[in-house]
Amino acid sequence: MTLKGSLPNICAALALLGLAACSSYDGSEEAVFLEEGQGVFVLCEGNYQSGNASLSYYDPETRTVENGVFRRANDRKLGDTGQAIVLSEGVAYITVENSGIIWGMDAETFRVRGQLTTGDTEHMTNPRYMLPVSQTKAYVTDLYAPYITIFNPQTYAYIGSIPTGQPTAYGYSSTEQLVQWGKYVFANCWCYSRSILVIDTEKDAVCDSITLSSWQPKRMVLDSRGKLWVITDGGYGTEHETFQNDVPHLYRIDAETWVIEDDWEMDTDEASVELALDATGSYLYILNNDIYRMGITESHPPVRPFIGAPTDEDGTRHKLYGIGVDPHNGDIYVGDAVDYMQSGTVYRYTAEGSLTDSFRVGINPNGFAFK
Amino acid sequence: MWRQVVTPLLCPLFLLFCQSAAAQKLVEMEEVEVNSTHRLKDTGLQQTVLDTTVLHQNVSQSLADILTKHTTLFIKSYGRATESTAEFRGTSPSHTQVTWSGMKINSPMLGTVDLSYIPGYFVDEVTLLHGASSLTAVGGGLGGAIEMRTRPITTEGWGLQYVQGIGSFSTYDQFLRLNYANKHWSSSTRLMYSSSKNNFRYTNYDKMVDLRDEEGNIISSYHPKERNKSGYFHDVNAMQDLHYNDGRGNTVSAAIWYSYSLRGLPFLSVDYKDVNDFTNEHQQNSLNSALSWSHTGSNWSSELKAGYTFQDIAYDYFTTREEVNTDITHSRSKANTGFMQAGADYMPRENWLLTATLAMYYNHVRSWDRSPFHIGDNFNLGRMEYNLSLSAKWRPVERLSLSAILREEVYKRDFVPLVPAIFADYVLYKPWNLKLKASIARNYRYPTMSDLYFQPGGNPDLQPERGFSYDGGVEMQIRKPRYSLHINASAFDSHITDWILWTPNAKGYWQPSNVKKVHNYGLEAEAEAEIMMGKEWSLLLRGNYAYTPSINKGRKTNSNDASYGKQLCYVPKTSANVSATLKWRSWSVAYTWTHYSERYTTTSNEPDYITGRLKPYYMSDVTLEKQFQWRVLHASIKGAINNLLNTEYVTVLSHPMAGRNFEILVELTPQWGRK
Repeated sequence: MTLKGSLPNICAALALLGLAACSSYDGSEEAVFLEEGQGVFVLCEGNYQSGNASLSYYDPETRTVENGVFRRANDRKLGDTGQAIVLSEGVAYITVENSGIIWGMDAETFRVRGQLTTGDTEHMTNPRYMLPVSQTKAYVTDLYAPYITIFNPQTYAYIGSIPTGQPTAYGYSSTEQLVQWGKYVFANCWCYSRSILVIDTEKDAVCDSITLSSWQPKRMVLDSRGKLWVITDGGYGTEHETFQNDVPHLYRIDAETWVIEDDWEMDTDEASVELALDATGSYLYILNNDIYRMGITESHPPVRPFIGAPTDEDGTRHKLYGIGVDPHNGDIYVGDAVDYMQSGTVYRYTAEGSLTDSFRVGINPNGFAFK
Repeated sequence: MWRQVVTPLLCPLFLLFCQSAAAQKLVEMEEVEVNSTHRLKDTGLQQTVLDTTVLHQNVSQSLADILTKHTTLFIKSYGRATESTAEFRGTSPSHTQVTWSGMKINSPMLGTVDLSYIPGYFVDEVTLLHGASSLTAVGGGLGGAIEMRTRPITTEGWGLQYVQGIGSFSTYDQFLRLNYANKHWSSSTRLMYSSSKNNFRYTNYDKMVDLRDEEGNIISSYHPKERNKSGYFHDVNAMQDLHYNDGRGNTVSAAIWYSYSLRGLPFLSVDYKDVNDFTNEHQQNSLNSALSWSHTGSNWSSELKAGYTFQDIAYDYFTTREEVNTDITHSRSKANTGFMQAGADYMPRENWLLTATLAMYYNHVRSWDRSPFHIGDNFNLGRMEYNLSLSAKWRPVERLSLSAILREEVYKRDFVPLVPAIFADYVLYKPWNLKLKASIARNYRYPTMSDLYFQPGGNPDLQPERGFSYDGGVEMQIRKPRYSLHINASAFDSHITDWILWTPNAKGYWQPSNVKKVHNYGLEAEAEAEIMMGKEWSLLLRGNYAYTPSINKGRKTNSNDASYGKQLCYVPKTSANVSATLKWRSWSVAYTWTHYSERYTTTSNEPDYITGRLKPYYMSDVTLEKQFQWRVLHASIKGAINNLLNTEYVTVLSHPMAGRNFEILVELTPQWGRK
């Protein structure tokens, strides 16, 4: 056989190859949701650098769960490292840290209403938490940028940035959670810092700061009496390097006077605690392996847990990852990340601490929002 | 789906058609059997050998690309010119040991080798040692081992080779090789520079652009076309190797290989940052050097080797916006490794071979980083490692060969339990060199320096991973004047316990622990056929297939853990590839088809999880080459189409891959100076 004789065969084969070309992704259909009643959003962080953050929706009445609702409703991924979710005016605002985006999603249809990306702003890098300060103004903290970003949560238009002015330690000047008391907003600075910034919302400027005795304030909530509860992780201690003493502290700070009223030293392994408040703002829930409940007027943190971490027959204790308290009925939701690489489980307890349900969600459930 | 199934069938059908037509005109030649030697040294080994006909096909291909297309290994790649690691038989990349000139080059920090940094043109021979067979070369290869070598030049005189490649996405590859060889000396100098913007366009199915009316309502949406962001690379490689043979059994070899690489780390498909505002970059300087002396006597041989490797890695991720510099992550690591090895083979009789090898490595690593979780030294330590291997190979009868290996390894002051391995093969049918092969072995992989010492997270209490494996297989090789055929197939069963796994802890960083127990089993098969269809036609067919269930049998994390009995993340159960090269006179056309089955991204293998699985991967590449041979110059021009069918795919979540792309390669080989 010669090449000339082979040409028709080659052409035929190439034609068939062309027919077989262009295999592609299947475009997924956008699902239609309409969830008008009460419900619980569970933000699942996903795995860093995998882009598999997701959002689940749980109906506490029917005890049914829908997973991956953001992707299903909008035919796009939520992003990489879902950090926080907050509900305001019928919109769920979801900060997705390593994607550099804040989504605004309709809380009933789960359809995207708008978004703010790093490219829309001057300074935003990795958004962490968002707080709607008013109907037309919201603040966003950042893991890296020494600015708090301001945008309009209705139009998603960038308004400006507040320089935090905090001293940069080792190149970092992060801000974390935000709570509002009157015209002031408090922002804890976690990364190599021990400051709580006080921001005047009328001037959109840092007007003062509270300096703690312990380093790296990590979580912060505001109770019904205007007391700010802050827990630090104390820095870290490793075999070769130590940043501060690695001893966490729990503080109670008066939001009116900015005076530290109480300072409790905690055990070292309590550095990863999460804080939550009940519906009335009267009880503080501390997630630290087990769940502890502390009255806001009590003089010291409890010793015995209110709810023990779920324990298997062989004695294996589940490591709990996130906590939220339903403001409607005080039900407590906690996430179990299992091995961090598969669907997590959410446990639902009554306000009295009885387990009533559990359901599977996405990877690493870390945040809850209640509508 | 039919497209993916039909496509790989087309090429062989087409080629078979050609073959049947050509067969009518076959030149009748006297059949001569050419049996390969049944080497005692290779008793029971499951190995795959790749030579320059595969390694030097395309100047733009890294060793990772070549192994993907021509072996049963699974290459986990984060994209073009980004991290690519090799996995044997469903194990992890750290279970693949890699040697260069006999020296282990796995990172003492991570235990892995990024094969995307190794140009195919810088290696002359690669041997894959599957499973227990790796124990003949190195310990710790619970999946297997990859041996890379350079070879002395066999053509006397001067030789020059220049290859220029120009490809899509502003990709340029330049390769220059200068050779000299005489009766005693062989010298080869290789230089290579590759660069690319690597900014391929792709449809981003992870994002959606919404078009809105004046009131802000979405009126339509579409998936945007985007470019791969921050995927650029500049790779420089230089290698000099020298071989001296005194003709009296003494051989001295020296090789030194320097490489520098500057690579952007591509943004995720779900990243909304503006690439112009961020720098996310990886720089690497590395030096590998090896010196060896060997002497071959009448019934014995000995060898001394020494080597040194240096690796300096810098990673920087920061942003400068509105003149404000914001740090995200910086890390630096410097690893120095010194190596010495002494070995001897002794054949007291023709049917006995005794081998002893003692190797010593000294690794020193300084790793430093700055991130929100840690600032300062991760660790700054040195560690001695000793490996002693003794083996005896025996052929009691002509057709039966037996081999036993004992290996002892020490890291720092910790002794790994004694590693025994037994191999056997039996020649069933001589004319076909049809052999049955079997092995049984224990193996250990001790923790890397990062596993033990990295701060934060390192766990000094880690135990070595333990493996136990069985192998059984069949191999045959037929060589006739008009065709040759080589088939190798094996079944294996392997259990790995105390698998070291890094998982996030409550403080936000990752920590390793001995947690997993994994059962790997399956089949591997490879076949190669070369058919001379006439004076001017030849056809080379190669195929590989692997079935590699890799099942988690470890203790459940808790009662919610659904990973027990499930396939490991990102490990395909089946992989296959087929390549066909048809040559006519100075023309050749080659087609390669590669397939991986679906891979799960969760340990629980939830198929309905929204990002829980990656679709099966089918890839087709084709090349057309024309060679020219003039008296003073040999030359060739080759056109390549990669991803012929423009398949849209990812091999790791949210890491887009290039669609159809093109390359033109010109090779010039002056003939002056050749003897």
